[in-house]
Amino acid sequence: MADRGQSWPTQQDESAIIDLGDVNDRDDGSDYETDMSRGPTDGSGKGSLEEDVRKRLTDNVTQMVWNAGTQQAKRAWSLYGNIDILRPYFNVEPHEVRTRLLQSFLPRMPSSEKQRAYRELYGPLMVVFTLIALLLFQMKAAEHKVEEGTLMGTAFGVCFTYWWGTAALMWFLSYVCNAHITSIQLLSLLGYGLAGHCVVILLGTLIHTSHDHLFFYLLWAVFGGLSTLKMVGVILSRTHGKSQRLILSCTIAAIHLLFLLYLHFAYHQIVEDLSRVLDSDPVVKQPEVVNNVRTVSKDRANKTH
Amino acid sequence: MLALCTIWQVKCLDVKRHQTLAVLNPFKAAEHDMMQDTDLAGPLVFCLAFGGSLMLCGKLQFGYIYGIGVVGCMAMYFLLNMMSLTGVSVGCVVSVLGYCLLPMVILSSSAVLLSLKGMIGIVLTVLAVVWCSFSSSKLFVSALSMENQQPLVAYPCGLVYGVFALLTVF
Repeated sequence: MADRGQSWPTQQDESAIIDLGDVNDRDDGSDYETDMSRGPTDGSGKGSLEEDVRKRLTDNVTQMVWNAGTQQAKRAWSLYGNIDILRPYFNVEPHEVRTRLLQSFLPRMPSSEKQRAYRELYGPLMVVFTLIALLLFQMKAAEHKVEEGTLMGTAFGVCFTYWWGTAALMWFLSYVCNAHITSIQLLSLLGYGLAGHCVVILLGTLIHTSHDHLFFYLLWAVFGGLSTLKMVGVILSRTHGKSQRLILSCTIAAIHLLFLLYLHFAYHQIVEDLSRVLDSDPVVKQPEVVNNVRTVSKDRANKTH
Repeated sequence: MLALCTIWQVKCLDVKRHQTLAVLNPFKAAEHDMMQDTDLAGPLVFCLAFGGSLMLCGKLQFGYIYGIGVVGCMAMYFLLNMMSLTGVSVGCVVSVLGYCLLPMVILSSSAVLLSLKGMIGIVLTVLAVVWCSFSSSKLFVSALSMENQQPLVAYPCGLVYGVFALLTVF
């Protein structure tokens, strides 16, 4: 029961009507939730009540919006963020992976029939990890130093950026050119296409040719070219229209082959430079210089005598 | 209380001994419930031993061992959860990969006495990587009932241990 102040008996004596405007004039010690006695004494108690109501309304609306947004986010996360949606793409047998790896080097002539593009992520992921390991091997062999980073971070960044970045670009171009290929198929195609890069990097690191790059360009043309032709064949069979086919095939061929050139000249070239520098080391010629100095000093000694 | 602690310690040592022997003999069939008791003390000891033997060769690589270990465990955890029906815990992955590092510890200890950049070193390195990946894949497939996919599990394990081998050789 509300505690009544001194004025109440006075008010009750005079009138049965309670003027709420007078309530804020004094502290009646009531235990209402809202302390209306704190308002200004010049009749702006209504303003304070309105402000309070507005503030409560704002808080309630904010809370409702926050709850609705949280539920939407949770629903979206459970739908798209659940990594279990990737499980079907890892359901493969060893012989299937082996067959697909070999087929990535065997291009087929484009025909009216659609060439098969697999929806699988295990094989491409393993090829990317293999490329990362080979790049680490190459960088370690060349004693390549990375400023502001690590070898592992560089290798991961380069390989995954190429794989996902190129897949995103090709997906966009496929959407524009109306090609019948999905993002998972593009990821799978590009991933298996990197098998050629792995072979070239491995052979190029194990076999050094210090004079020219003919051996590398030969490998680049053979293995890089075969894997590129395979990818181009698949995309051409799923695209209609000459200009669309030209755009897609030229883009993927250029990016794929230029990436292999980048991997060679960014990380492997250092090995060749080091070999050349070590072969022409001036420290090796020092004994000849010492002998020449002795000969000259002997000649001078003979002349003075 | 003391008796309970003693029994628990004996059980832990027994688990460590079984798992170490399972790694040392990769051709022996692993029990299905061997990895039920995930143990991180053994892997920690092996990682420290690996780092210590590299230190004897003049290489301070504890940071790299930690970084490669974390990245490798995370990648294997993701991959095995995608491939298996039952799923796998992080502790199980760390425990298996850690115990199977033992052949790599032996390789890095031998690097103190002989160079691994010659032909003998290359053969030993390849042998160690194959041994590690075979042991780890055997333990994983026995724990997750994936017998027909052992090569698919062995290959990424081989890549992880191959990176550790790069630390040892270079």
